[in-house]
Amino acid sequence: MTTSRGPARRLLAAGGCLLLLALAACGGSSGGNSGGGSSPGSTATGTAVRGGVYRTAVTSFGLTNNMDPVGETQIGFAFSLYDAMLRTLVTFRHESGTAGTQIVPDLATSVPTPTDNGLTYTFHLKSGIKFAPPVNREITSQDIAYAFQRINDAKLVAQYGYYYVGVIKGLTGKAKTPDNHISGIETPDPKTIIFHLTAPVGDFLQRVASPAAAPVPSEVAKCFNQAGTYGRDVVASGPYMFQGSGAVDIKNCSTIKPMSGFDPTKNITLVRNPNYDPATDGTRPSYLNGVQISVDPNVADIFARVQKGQLDGSMTDPPPATVTRQYLTDPSLKKYFHSDLINQVESVTMNLAVAPFTDVHVRKAVAWVLDKSAMLRALGGESHYSIATHIIPPTLPGGLPVSYDPYQTPNESGDLAKAQAEMKQSAYDSNKDGKCDAAACRNLAFINIAQFAGVDTVVQNDLAKIGIQIKPRDLSVTTAFTALFTIKQLEPMSALGGGYADYTGTYSFAQPNFGSTALSGPVACCNYSLVGLTKKQASTYKVPYPPTGIPSVDTIITKCEALSPGPARNTCFAGLDQTMMTKVMAWVPYVWGRNIVITGPTVSQYVMDITTSSLSLTRIAVTNHVTLSS
Amino acid sequence: MLVYLTRRLFWLVITLLVITAITFVIYFVLPPVSPAVLFAGKEATPQLVATVQHELGLDHPVWVQYLLFLKHLVLGDQFGWPGLGFSYVNHSSVRSLLAGRVVVTVVLAVGAALLWLAMGITIGVISAIRQRSVWDRLALGFAIFFISAPVFWLGLVLLWVFWYKLGVAAGTGYFPPGQYGLLTWLDHMILPWFTLALLYAGWYARMTRGAVLDTLRQDYVRTARAKGLGEARILLRHVLRACLTPILTMFGMDLAALVSGTVIVEVVFNLNGLGQWVVQSVTSDDIPSVLAVTVLAALAVMVANLIVDILYAYVDPRVRYE
Repeated sequence: MTTSRGPARRLLAAGGCLLLLALAACGGSSGGNSGGGSSPGSTATGTAVRGGVYRTAVTSFGLTNNMDPVGETQIGFAFSLYDAMLRTLVTFRHESGTAGTQIVPDLATSVPTPTDNGLTYTFHLKSGIKFAPPVNREITSQDIAYAFQRINDAKLVAQYGYYYVGVIKGLTGKAKTPDNHISGIETPDPKTIIFHLTAPVGDFLQRVASPAAAPVPSEVAKCFNQAGTYGRDVVASGPYMFQGSGAVDIKNCSTIKPMSGFDPTKNITLVRNPNYDPATDGTRPSYLNGVQISVDPNVADIFARVQKGQLDGSMTDPPPATVTRQYLTDPSLKKYFHSDLINQVESVTMNLAVAPFTDVHVRKAVAWVLDKSAMLRALGGESHYSIATHIIPPTLPGGLPVSYDPYQTPNESGDLAKAQAEMKQSAYDSNKDGKCDAAACRNLAFINIAQFAGVDTVVQNDLAKIGIQIKPRDLSVTTAFTALFTIKQLEPMSALGGGYADYTGTYSFAQPNFGSTALSGPVACCNYSLVGLTKKQASTYKVPYPPTGIPSVDTIITKCEALSPGPARNTCFAGLDQTMMTKVMAWVPYVWGRNIVITGPTVSQYVMDITTSSLSLTRIAVTNHVTLSS
Repeated sequence: MLVYLTRRLFWLVITLLVITAITFVIYFVLPPVSPAVLFAGKEATPQLVATVQHELGLDHPVWVQYLLFLKHLVLGDQFGWPGLGFSYVNHSSVRSLLAGRVVVTVVLAVGAALLWLAMGITIGVISAIRQRSVWDRLALGFAIFFISAPVFWLGLVLLWVFWYKLGVAAGTGYFPPGQYGLLTWLDHMILPWFTLALLYAGWYARMTRGAVLDTLRQDYVRTARAKGLGEARILLRHVLRACLTPILTMFGMDLAALVSGTVIVEVVFNLNGLGQWVVQSVTSDDIPSVLAVTVLAALAVMVANLIVDILYAYVDPRVRYE
């Protein structure tokens, strides 16, 4: 018996086309918009009124731990929800600009000053703050200690555990159960919690403000012993909770079912937490009555639904080029287009253990020759990104101003003469013609993903001018990053260096990207260039160690980490950036990220949250009269 | 018939075993990086990877893992029956993620299949009995146009015209009838059904036309006419019944293939079905989810094939299973 398989083949082929179109749309060109800190529509200043529901859609939740805060790393999306759902001892202001990075008390009565030479932090909790249903009891210091005990439990895979492991006494990240007490955390009474550190950490308060440090009721969380499973029953402490929280029966573990407001592949619905008392919270105005987020894999459809009024706005997905153009060229629509600079950088990375990038002159030649203007155009123009002049984004504390640009060229279009002058000084240009003539410069794999594939041709053409031949390999996100983080694979180049800071502290950007301690396993994020790789690590991971050595910035990072927030710390991290740009030059930063959101006329107030690089669900307001059941 | 059915069911099980074994090898043995490393995430220290491997049961030999998978599939696991495991990406039971999506895909596939059968067979028959007429040429044009039109383009065009511009259709998304009412559900499903159906209707129209034309030239049709039977009776009772065998074969396979093959329509119309999920699972290396859909898709194809084979005996009196 036979059958026609034509339709099936066509479907598959068309699927590929659709994905390509969608990705091309993400990276397409757009109309011009100023590349400053924020676009004209970045903060709508209409009257904010309580009520309504923010209805939005995303192409994927992209969650890394199913919303369990202990392991969730999806900053732009999940952390925005956490601000709405979870309260921490202290928190960020969650607003746009540097004001949003300020630490303010949340569960704690005040922001503590460290004692004991920066080794002890004592927090006193406010009274009357309760967990949301189904727990409905007052939050105690034990609930916060339990959150850290979960970070300490190896099998729960705390993704940001390294900001606490070895920092808080007794927190090793190797516990076999979350019930193990941590010696460096004291809870002398239900309203007091004391942290004892092993060494001074200047941004400890920022780390305590992370979602993983939010209070967790053990009576619910103890029922979830596998990474991520608690995510479907996260008990809120903030102004919002998952819809259906109250319907969960917590009599015992077997009666606990997932909350109806969260399906990890389809939708998230937040409703007001009836136990939330705004009088205890000085930072979250919480205008909305609810938030409704669905997964819609068709990005064009999301923006069509915004235009038709079915959604109030987008959230994390950049609009297709045609939509961007429409909003930027129509004066009546421009106010709905919000584009804000965020804590994100994208860089061309070079592997310091791979020839010819073992030679700093080759790396500097690459920095001089790249046409960043063309790369920016290929990624959608100034409405989507801004040209990066150095590595650490200016939005982070200690980030240098845009004017710091050690490889400045006319119009940021590259300077071939300076690039060739650098190349001539390298060992890979034997005839000193400004072009690499060694075999090591041929057929270098250039790892990329579809989102940034637009830069492939630009980089390929520019590097060919100095004799470096690359072969772009556009891979799926998982494959690309796995390849880059597999040390043994020694991927020479990528377009993917950077991403986001883990929290709004520059250490969280510097350490994972440039610290040798980030090279903690054979496949570990995120030291793309193997900065600071030691001989011992090279031997462990079975990679050759270049005879010229590999530069390290560990000393600078350690020094900066110990400094308290303030000018000295900022100057220290600025120095790190300068060292990376002028001495190490492992990354060529090409763009800083911008968060783009298109809202509809129902959004009366739009606020961008610099700490989550996303819109602030606790500060935006809508005028629709949509209602949700709890 | 019973012997035949038993034999077929036996081979169905064997085929399933082979397919799952191959999928298992592809995803568990061939990848250069262990799923545990991906699960361990940002700081995959060797100790953490070992813990994760133990937690996910990946520290057993592959053949033991495979046998455990089969055991859970047949007897169920901690999440219920059938035991399809734990999604490494969504950190939930695969069974719970699969359940809602199967409904959406089945609704999409069955609705579209009924439409394309009705359109394809009708157009094919008219085209055959009015051979070389304007109707025949129009039918040919219809078939060529919709077979050639990429399904994502067709879906987007239909959306743009009927939802965005004319506002007569409801737009995208799946709205379960139990929650939103039958009319809302229908309103949201009509465009996806037509998008998928138009693609297949072209094939079915061409095939029906060919089969009807072939059958019309058979001796028994000439005999029927000689006996004075009416054209309508000849067409319905003698010609169409004989033509049903190849159409049935194709229909069974096409419908079953849609279990995981509706991805484009699902993406365009924002329907959270199986096709969309399988693409996400493959790109994110979510092995248990891929394995679950593979089992489901293979089962659907084999069961559809079996049903088609059984139906032959009823459709075509010449077929008998001894």
